[in-house]
Amino acid sequence: MTTAGTTGEDRLDAAFIALADPTRRAIVARLARGDATVSELAAPFAMTLPGISKHLKVLERCGVISRTRHAQFRPCHLEAGALDAAVGWIEESRRAWSERFDKLDAHLRDLQRGPAADQAGTAGG
Amino acid sequence: MADRAPAAGELTCTRVFDAPRELVFRCLLEPAHLTHFWGPAGVSTPLETIRVDPRPGGVFEAVMVSDADGRRYPTRAVYVEITEPERIVWTEPGSGLTTTSVFRDLGGGRTEVEIRQANAPAGYRTPQARAGFATSLDRLAAYLGPRGGSR
Repeated sequence: MTTAGTTGEDRLDAAFIALADPTRRAIVARLARGDATVSELAAPFAMTLPGISKHLKVLERCGVISRTRHAQFRPCHLEAGALDAAVGWIEESRRAWSERFDKLDAHLRDLQRGPAADQAGTAGG
Repeated sequence: MADRAPAAGELTCTRVFDAPRELVFRCLLEPAHLTHFWGPAGVSTPLETIRVDPRPGGVFEAVMVSDADGRRYPTRAVYVEITEPERIVWTEPGSGLTTTSVFRDLGGGRTEVEIRQANAPAGYRTPQARAGFATSLDRLAAYLGPRGGSR
C-alpha cells in the first residue's frame, strides 16, 4: 500500500463508474482481446460514432482506456491495470466472505455441540 | 450461487448453515460470536477490538489482525438497518461500501445467509448504475480475472 491511500479508492471508484454501463463493459471486453479503432468498436452496436465516442471519453477519463494521439485512427487501448482495483475488490470480497462463512459454520457447530465446547473456537487455527 | 440474484445485483455470497435463524442472526451481530469468524482465513479479530451498537446510526467496529505478521485491518461501519432476525445493513462511510445480510429460515433448523455488497457511493447510486451492476459485474470479474486478478 502506498502513502497516497486515497489513490486506490479513487481508482476503484473510477473503475466501477466505467463498468456501470453495459455498452462500456462490452467495449472493455472487446479491447481485452486487443486494440481497436472507434469504428471497429462501434460495429457491433446499433450506435452512432458520437454515441460510442461518448462512452470512450468516459472510459478514457476513468483511466480504463488510452488512445494514441498521433495515429490517424487513434486506436483504443485497454489499460488493464485500471480495472485491477475493481476485479481485485470483487474477488477479494467474495473470498473473504467465503472464508468467514467457513469459520462461522465451524463456530455454529461448536455452539450447538453444547456449552462445554464453547472454548473450542478460541483461535480456530 | 447467483440463482437468486437480487435486483440491485451487487456482489453476492450465499451460504446455508445448519443452525436456527435466530442463532445465525446473533452471530452476525454480537461481538462474542463475531470474534470467532469475522476475520477471513489467517486473520483473527480480537474480542476487545469489536464494538457493536446495534441500532440504525450505531457503529460497528472491528480490527482484523493478520496471524502471520500482525498487520491490522480496521473495519468501521454504521448500521443502516437491523431487523431481527431477518436483515442487517451497514455502510462504510469511508468507501461507501454497503453490505446487506439477509437471513432466511429454510425450516428444519437450517438458515440461508445471503451477503450483498456494493460499492455504491451516493454519486452513482443511480438506476442506470445499479442496473449496470446487475447485468454482469460478477461475470466481468470472472472474465477479466485471469489477466487482472493475479497481482
